[in-house]
Amino acid sequence: MKSTPKILIIDDEEIVLDSCTHILKSSGYQIITAHDGMTGVETMKQENPDLIFVDLKMPGISGLEVLEKIQEYDATIVPIVITGFATVSSAVEAMKKGAYDFLPKPFTPDEMRLITRRAIDKRKLVLETIMLRKEKEMLREQFAAIVSHELKSPLGAVQQSLFGLVSDLEETLSEAQKNKIQRLQSRISDMIKLVNTWLRAISVDISTIRENFGPTSVAETIAKAVESCQPHAIRKDISIKTSLKQPLATVNGNEVTLVEALVNIIGNAVKYTQMGGQVAILAKAEGNNVLIEVKDNGVGISAEDLPHIFDDFYVGKTKPENERRSGVGLAITKRIIEAHDGSITVDSELGKGSSFVIQLPIPK
Amino acid sequence: MEQTKVLIIDDDPDYVDGIKSILNKANYHVDVAYNPKDGLAALKSEAYGLLLLDIMMGRGAEGVMVARKINKDPKLREIPVLIITGIREQMAFLFPGQPVHPHLLPTDALLEKPVDPGILLEKVDALLKEAAGKKSKGA
Repeated sequence: MKSTPKILIIDDEEIVLDSCTHILKSSGYQIITAHDGMTGVETMKQENPDLIFVDLKMPGISGLEVLEKIQEYDATIVPIVITGFATVSSAVEAMKKGAYDFLPKPFTPDEMRLITRRAIDKRKLVLETIMLRKEKEMLREQFAAIVSHELKSPLGAVQQSLFGLVSDLEETLSEAQKNKIQRLQSRISDMIKLVNTWLRAISVDISTIRENFGPTSVAETIAKAVESCQPHAIRKDISIKTSLKQPLATVNGNEVTLVEALVNIIGNAVKYTQMGGQVAILAKAEGNNVLIEVKDNGVGISAEDLPHIFDDFYVGKTKPENERRSGVGLAITKRIIEAHDGSITVDSELGKGSSFVIQLPIPK
Repeated sequence: MEQTKVLIIDDDPDYVDGIKSILNKANYHVDVAYNPKDGLAALKSEAYGLLLLDIMMGRGAEGVMVARKINKDPKLREIPVLIITGIREQMAFLFPGQPVHPHLLPTDALLEKPVDPGILLEKVDALLKEAAGKKSKGA
């Protein structure tokens, strides 16, 4: 906000405009006026005021319509309605339409100054919030870049040196020594993977996913995701059963990220299910949506964890044996599904298993 | 058999050293340039069978600049190039979920750092064969 707040007053009565201008000018605001709704809206677009006082009852377009236009144009502008005593109920209506406050006629200069001061504070807060949000977004991106460079490259350099060392010393090292180096390498490799997962969590940017949307086969997406989880399932003797109710529609999306989302869910199902368990995938069209359900008879999710499982870096209480968790898989999944205008829900009971349902809209 | 000459252009000595060991062991002759300028000079003064090119060097993606210069030179662009880079994650920003390979040159492949020895040798071998195939077709 500029140092001098700009206030637009829209009223058909000359005397109201004059007195308002007089009252507010002495408090150091810049005042612009308009005689009717249409001119007011035009003036708003040219001047971008911080505050708009608008009379509800005017010839031409009404104050309520002006309110709608303000909302459409810039929702951060703070609108206040001026209204006669008889129309308090319409003032309430105006508040519902986004007016910040109302000023009943007749009003004293002090009343008007008070309302103005409060509204200006409100405007400041709104602008500050937007700025903070932008800053947060920027920090997130910067953080991603910093993590990438400052953590990844030295870790990678260490790993590369170890590769070189093993190569140099292959004939000289004893088995025990080779084993030690291998353990070093495996720990470093885990760290690099972790950094990559974090980066992935930070860098899943909804707008960039949407850029390469196209017709995507649900059946194929599921098949690819299952294929990628199969080795892990086989190791744990878990059967993954897929049943698709044909015909399955094509959705508008990005196959790579959809597969990733499904791999996270199916992978979790495998991870959190005991040896010899079962994972079932069901898919069908229902109304305007495709439903994909991933069900397991694994350890389940406790009631206290359930509301948080889609949060970034959340790691629940139920711990799978010998499995690694980063706490970002489901958060990424949710973001991917939401980028596809879909939704994901979960139902689970401790000890009984979990069921995740993904809903994706079928394009018309 | 005569050794194949390989040039590495990378500004990080730790990576260079690690990669060089692996290639030396596999009987390649390895030269190193630690910046794009020396790298291009080396390419022009000697005949290399393969180039290993880092992307993020100096102040930014200077490796891309090197690739462009090579591409403009009718003789140099015949050299197969293995791009070795740690920036896949940043590039994935633009193409979520996809392993990104920008295909900067006629014969190139991409490996993410750190480079696993087995995969490195496999790719180097494949690239050399691909380039030899193209050469015999052209002749």
